[in-house]
Amino acid sequence: MGVEQGGSSPLGPGGAPSLKGPGKHLLKPYLGTWRIILPGTPGVLPSVCLTLPPHQEVSSDGAPGAYPSKNKRTHLPTVWELESGAGVGRSFRGERKGGPWTFEERPGVKVVSAGKHCVLCGIVNKSEVYKDVLSEFVPLYQDFENFYTRNLYMRIRDSWNRPICSVPGAKFDILERVSYDYNWTFKYTGRIVNDVINMGSYNYLGFAENSGVCADAAAEITLKYGVGVCSTRREIGNLDKHEELEKLAAKFLGVDAAMAFGMGFATNSMNIPALVGKGCLILSDELNHASLVLGARLSGATIRVFKHNNMQSLEKLLKDAIVHGQPRTHRPWKKILILVEGIYSMEGSIVHLPDIVSLKKKYKAYLYLDEAHSIGALGPTGRGVVEYFGLDPRDVDIMMGTFTKSFGAAGGYIGGTKELVDYLRTHSHSAVYATSMSPPVVEQIIASMKCIMGEDGTTLGQERVQQLAENTRYFRRKLQEMGFIIYGNDDSPVVPMMLYMPAKIGAFGREMLKRNIGVVVVGFPATPIIESRARFCVSAAHTKEMLDTALNVINEVGDLLQLKYSRHRLVPLLDRPFDETTYEENED
Amino acid sequence: QVTMNVGVAHSEVNPNTRIMNSRGIWLTYALGVGMLHIVLLSIPFFSVPVVWTLTNVIHNLGMYVFLHAVKGTPFETPDQGKARLLTHWEQLDYGVQFTSSRKFFTISPIIIYFLASFYTKYDPTHCFINTASLLSVLIPKLPQLHGVRIFGINKY
Repeated sequence: MGVEQGGSSPLGPGGAPSLKGPGKHLLKPYLGTWRIILPGTPGVLPSVCLTLPPHQEVSSDGAPGAYPSKNKRTHLPTVWELESGAGVGRSFRGERKGGPWTFEERPGVKVVSAGKHCVLCGIVNKSEVYKDVLSEFVPLYQDFENFYTRNLYMRIRDSWNRPICSVPGAKFDILERVSYDYNWTFKYTGRIVNDVINMGSYNYLGFAENSGVCADAAAEITLKYGVGVCSTRREIGNLDKHEELEKLAAKFLGVDAAMAFGMGFATNSMNIPALVGKGCLILSDELNHASLVLGARLSGATIRVFKHNNMQSLEKLLKDAIVHGQPRTHRPWKKILILVEGIYSMEGSIVHLPDIVSLKKKYKAYLYLDEAHSIGALGPTGRGVVEYFGLDPRDVDIMMGTFTKSFGAAGGYIGGTKELVDYLRTHSHSAVYATSMSPPVVEQIIASMKCIMGEDGTTLGQERVQQLAENTRYFRRKLQEMGFIIYGNDDSPVVPMMLYMPAKIGAFGREMLKRNIGVVVVGFPATPIIESRARFCVSAAHTKEMLDTALNVINEVGDLLQLKYSRHRLVPLLDRPFDETTYEENED
Repeated sequence: QVTMNVGVAHSEVNPNTRIMNSRGIWLTYALGVGMLHIVLLSIPFFSVPVVWTLTNVIHNLGMYVFLHAVKGTPFETPDQGKARLLTHWEQLDYGVQFTSSRKFFTISPIIIYFLASFYTKYDPTHCFINTASLLSVLIPKLPQLHGVRIFGINKY
């Protein structure tokens, strides 16, 4: 880091000197016209960058704010230096002394001791000098907050956002990419990896296809109705197709009426505020999806969180709520709404619906069930978690779901009594302000729903539902036998397999892709930092051969990466006949 | 207030608040301190009292830096920067005092101090160093000093 004079500044003549070192932008207002260079810290994800990338005179991309070239590692400060504010203290001392500082690579031990020294210098000096400046402005971006992103996420981000060039069905094609700078930039090799088995898409019933009945129907409707509606439901955007869809959805779910919305996320976030408000209580599960959390926070109601799928925790909260009422006034709550999901997408666990329904009836609360992943995927005829448990759909006050996962489309719905749905038609934010669903999407949902219900005259839908159930059971059973730790209920098609170590997240994703399987790996912040996992989504479109291939590959990679953490070993059902010496299914 | 917890599968706004309650972290911390002590003991020219004083001082220095000096979070949180000016100690459990993690991390430097005092045979120089170090790490933990920045040090 140093103060360099004149000529080598790439931004043209003028000889304005530039400072190097992290945190230098903090000195900018102090130094007037001096430009500042910030080596090492990337220009960062938003394009706001008060600094230039280092050594721009040698890099080819001239735009300021681009990611710095990571080839020259000699000048990059170590992570320790950046985070300890080493630069700030150091430069400030440099300022005081007036001499130039050079920023060369330094041996490790010196860095550590220098860093500690600078932390203390930086702490003392930073506050005195920048107090006036910093108290007026909120920093746009903080070096420390993107510590995780820069150091962990960037290194393994080739496992996410992979560009594909086919429909994400049971198999798909991926564009191959390489990175020569540790995933800061990607280059396409031009090769397409064909027929990668897709274990990551939410394609439970296999409707993600671009040929077949649903696709043809959607294409026909595009020709007839056009691509978009360009208006809201309450103005002139209500088509007969929407009404047909809503009647069909109500029939599918077994409720009085239903309303459909353009986005699954928006269904939750826009409708919960319409249903509850200030003075109401929301009891939401710990692991609820972001849309439910956002909807709950937007509504202004009091939110209390109960432990995941834990009925004792929920009952305790209900009892306390009813006994004590609202926090200070002790008035009774206007409404108590329990927010749960059918299948939780990160855990694969199925909600204990019978217990919740009995609790709700006992304490007279309302139940909002978000069946994003479970509609179409659970139950003997695919009607969701309510059918899976054999309950009455009228027990669930608000049945919400999405069309994204099992129906191969987009959007969400809410089903319930006619009064509820009529109220939502007038009071929901989506109905008033959001564009209505586009006709081809609506037709896709109608076609796929009819297929599942059997109304198109074939048994294809029923076969798909059964195929999914078989695939799920088989896949889960085999993975458990192999010795992996799998979360979730045995019937849920969402299969999270624990990886635990951050390094294994990247390793697993890459090894699976090398062997032609595409998987989704999840880490912090979506999961707790030590519970990273790989999440498989079983589909009805997977044949047994595909599942066997995938399982063999997972077995191989699991041995390679030592992922077989489970200490319970399931006795394989077919290999060992039941004789007088095996009474337990689990043999430790 | 509204926050968007987009991209996360849990409703926790700031994971820093509950990381010290998570499974295995107290044990990891204790083992870490033990490892530090063993490494220091392996250095041949340090006598046992010096090693204990060094363990105490280095542990307290590390604790001060990570719990009371570094502010904010190393990851982005959807709380719109509420925790940016708070040290980790102040973020624990959303500012609720006397939770079990806080008690654990208050008591552990005291235990190390007792052990260090014993093994240094209550020598005055060592005692002075150890006591100063202990105070530097105990005083910021007082509930009265929650959010307090003396002389504006570390305020922004």
